[in-house]
Amino acid sequence: MMDAKEIAAKIAENLDPNKDKERLGTLYTDGKVRKRREWRGLEDTMYDYVRWLGIMGMLGKFIVKPRNIKGFFRYRWMQNYLAVPMMIDRHTQGLRGSYLRIAHTEFDLVAQDVALLLENLFKGDRNVGNDEEFSKKVVLVDENEMTTFMMGFPNLKCLSRETPSVYVSVLLNQHAAEPYIDIAQEYGLPGDVCPMPEAEMGVSIADDFPVLGACAVQCNTTCDGSLLGNGVISKRLELEDGVPCFQLAAPLRHREDDVQEYAAQEIRNTIAFIEKHTGHKWDWDNYFECAKRVNESTRHRLDWLEMNKTDYPQVFGSNLALYTETNYMAICGKLPAFVEADRKITKYAEQAYKNRAMAVKEYRHRAIVWGVQSHFYFDFLIWLQNCWGIIPLTDMLSMVSTRVLSEDDKEQAIYDMAWLQENMIMRNRTHGGYKVLLDELWDFCEEFNADTVILWEHMACKALVGMHGQFEEKAREKGIHLIWVKHDLFDPRIVSRQGIRDQINNYMRTVFMEEPLDPTLEVLPDDQSW
Amino acid sequence: MKKKALKVLKTTGLVAGGFFGVTFTVYYFNLDMKMTAAMQPLLNYVYDRVERDQHL
Amino acid sequence: MKDLKHLIYFEQLLQDANNELVQKGQAEGLKCVATVCENIPEPLLNLPGLFSVRLRAPKTGSMEMATYYMTDFLCEYTRALLERAIEGGYNFTDCMITPDGCSMLNRCVENMELLHTAKKPGYFYEYLEIPMKADDNGLNLYVLQCQNHILNAFKKNFGIDVSDEAIRKAVAEHNRMCELIRAIGDYRKPEKPAITGYEFHIITLATYVAPKHLIIPMLEETLEELKTREPDDMKYRARVVFVGSEVDDVDMIKLVEDAGAYVCADRFCYGSLPGRNPIELNDDEDALTQICRQYMYRGQCPRMMNQAKIQGRRQYVADIAEEYNADGIIYQQMKFCDPWAYERTVGSHVLNNDYDYPVLSIDRPYAVGVSGQLRTRVQAFVESIEIKKIQGGAK
Repeated sequence: MMDAKEIAAKIAENLDPNKDKERLGTLYTDGKVRKRREWRGLEDTMYDYVRWLGIMGMLGKFIVKPRNIKGFFRYRWMQNYLAVPMMIDRHTQGLRGSYLRIAHTEFDLVAQDVALLLENLFKGDRNVGNDEEFSKKVVLVDENEMTTFMMGFPNLKCLSRETPSVYVSVLLNQHAAEPYIDIAQEYGLPGDVCPMPEAEMGVSIADDFPVLGACAVQCNTTCDGSLLGNGVISKRLELEDGVPCFQLAAPLRHREDDVQEYAAQEIRNTIAFIEKHTGHKWDWDNYFECAKRVNESTRHRLDWLEMNKTDYPQVFGSNLALYTETNYMAICGKLPAFVEADRKITKYAEQAYKNRAMAVKEYRHRAIVWGVQSHFYFDFLIWLQNCWGIIPLTDMLSMVSTRVLSEDDKEQAIYDMAWLQENMIMRNRTHGGYKVLLDELWDFCEEFNADTVILWEHMACKALVGMHGQFEEKAREKGIHLIWVKHDLFDPRIVSRQGIRDQINNYMRTVFMEEPLDPTLEVLPDDQSW
Repeated sequence: MKKKALKVLKTTGLVAGGFFGVTFTVYYFNLDMKMTAAMQPLLNYVYDRVERDQHL
Repeated sequence: MKDLKHLIYFEQLLQDANNELVQKGQAEGLKCVATVCENIPEPLLNLPGLFSVRLRAPKTGSMEMATYYMTDFLCEYTRALLERAIEGGYNFTDCMITPDGCSMLNRCVENMELLHTAKKPGYFYEYLEIPMKADDNGLNLYVLQCQNHILNAFKKNFGIDVSDEAIRKAVAEHNRMCELIRAIGDYRKPEKPAITGYEFHIITLATYVAPKHLIIPMLEETLEELKTREPDDMKYRARVVFVGSEVDDVDMIKLVEDAGAYVCADRFCYGSLPGRNPIELNDDEDALTQICRQYMYRGQCPRMMNQAKIQGRRQYVADIAEEYNADGIIYQQMKFCDPWAYERTVGSHVLNNDYDYPVLSIDRPYAVGVSGQLRTRVQAFVESIEIKKIQGGAK
């Protein structure tokens, strides 16, 4: 006869959404797509189905417009957008309950935002819509830059050409950047440079960028590669297409006081440049509205990170990483929809935290994910938790500025904008001295009670790999398991997804001597997969 | 009147049921992605024929 | 041609980072300032009481320790420096002044700091933010950074006089050296040059790695010699400008010239163009600002990203090629150098397509030795220039 405790445990076990989960590896094929979608139990499957309907509706609305059809057939990278639903599937693998809802809140919103970006690009593009009046209100920005200087231009469109053509494309289809990497190398660029600016350069050479805009603001963030690749892009954009380009220099040593005035002046110069070329004036009221949103988003992010320090983290993995990248950098307070999403996510997270919800049946390791993640395998974070029970509590790209922006002081606002510009995601760690990259990692390990560091070693990121030995020595000293995961960012031909998984698999089996939670995920035939 | 309302309800139910059946089948068996995956190689044929001004 | 009197001595100086003149300078009580990048204004490191040494790693063999710390994806120059530092090869220096310029150099120096490779008590490292654009804002930054991280650091740690007067004194000495180098370099311009590219490279390199005041007398003697030196009949089949990233390997220019191409101009780090351009000072403005302005505007580092600088770099190469009567251009980069990877790619195309110069584009290891691959590339390039000349299509 069971006692009350045993009965309660039995009930909890039966209600556990992680019970009887499908073996996710059985859904894979050696082709581009999966056999079928996941069965998540009736409630969660219906929820996921309804969200899928929403995405299909959005994609349908996008593609029926003649201008978008024209754009679809003009740009090679557009074919990758056929994979949008699958990208969302990849990032919701194994998720139930609040985790699933958080993922959809984020990914569906990001998908909508990208669809709007594409519409706007095609509208003004000389090759497609050629709406000159619209184009006069467009300011082109890099994918790799904070957009703080647009927070005070409510009537201008801040559009990035690299985001949909290169960055999002690789998230959708692991092979998306290969044609452009190859073109850049055909023109003589060595293969050891970072594939991101390399691919962007390739798109420019291949005449596969939309051409529009009153002006463009390029930035030296993230790194040397971005700085140099921009030079190649601006050669065509400015000198041939006639779009004036401003180079915004964000200081590297962002923690030092004696660079802040330089950074602030760069912001003033950028704003002046935009005003000159668009005829629009900076609007402080709008800026402060955006600043308030940034502050609220920061508060939400801090709340999620605080939760992640406990035994029941709720917003982590891709749910944290990809969303933070978009919200912090690309959106930067300009869209209210993202603050609404933040509030929703916090609500889900708080409820789940109260219920002590878990994403997988067993949390074996608490990990900090550090380094530059591979874009062709962003769902690696989901794989870590599903296959091995490694919970990626936070990652380097989510440990960004937490400074509260001034909501009324115009002079301070300039320095705030400069600060954010310098503290662009990833860049705030890979540059600025070894303390921000190396020393602070161990502080985070302690704060988050992490026993493992998954260190993405992007082989072409010289700023990161230059500290390889120091990472090893410090990890040994601190007694933290450091698992290196080598990759080449955008190019799966160098290290494939299975190559990435094998680096974890080998460590887990030989050092931790563990068996996977889901053995079907250990080896997957996804070389050709989207 | 009642008969008409019932008829409308029946039709709506059938349509909704049919819609659900078809779409859920597409969703669950991943037919949308299977279709677009089959389409993708054909697109390269189109893209290779777009006139481009390729240079540095 | 008759051997230059001091060439062998200069060659010997370059065999060791802690060479005879460095030791002599330190014996005079001067502090030795280590540096790694041309973006640090050299006169500021050579104030009275100091001399600068641009770090090299001659006779580099294995780089295994440095490769462990930095991996084999970083350029060999930076790994060679770190390896040498770990071995204690730079223990003679008293401080390190470096820009946060390219990521690799930055990590190299940070590793040196973290590994405590420098053993002298009171050794310090200073990292400067340097401008990425040549404009007023950049100039203000440059001046502030040099003030904070060079001048103030020297005053605090070594008690060095960092006044305007002291800076001008350093500039005067720097300029004397530059004038001599440029005058020696002009002997490369005639059809029958009185100095080989290799000899010139040795002499120029020596000025980066020894106290200026100790090397100036030898430069003066060398210049005198050149005035009467009988040039050989031209054995080279083409004249080339050598452009690109740092070249401190004494074998590099030798290899190119042995393959038949005369290196008539050197547009690379550790070279003379523009590294040995004199600095012009007036009395209307403080010396520090004038030095920073000239370094900022004349610098040819590819990390300078405003359009004027980008276009200016290619124009500069074209101007040098014309001034030195070059038949072609060799764009080279150290393997794994990101800045020069892009600059070489675009520069090669621009100089060829827009300026009609034959261009050879190569990447190379830090120590080329007697690389057969490189030799073959240069030989083929020389032949292509010859054929073009015969066909009447040369520049």
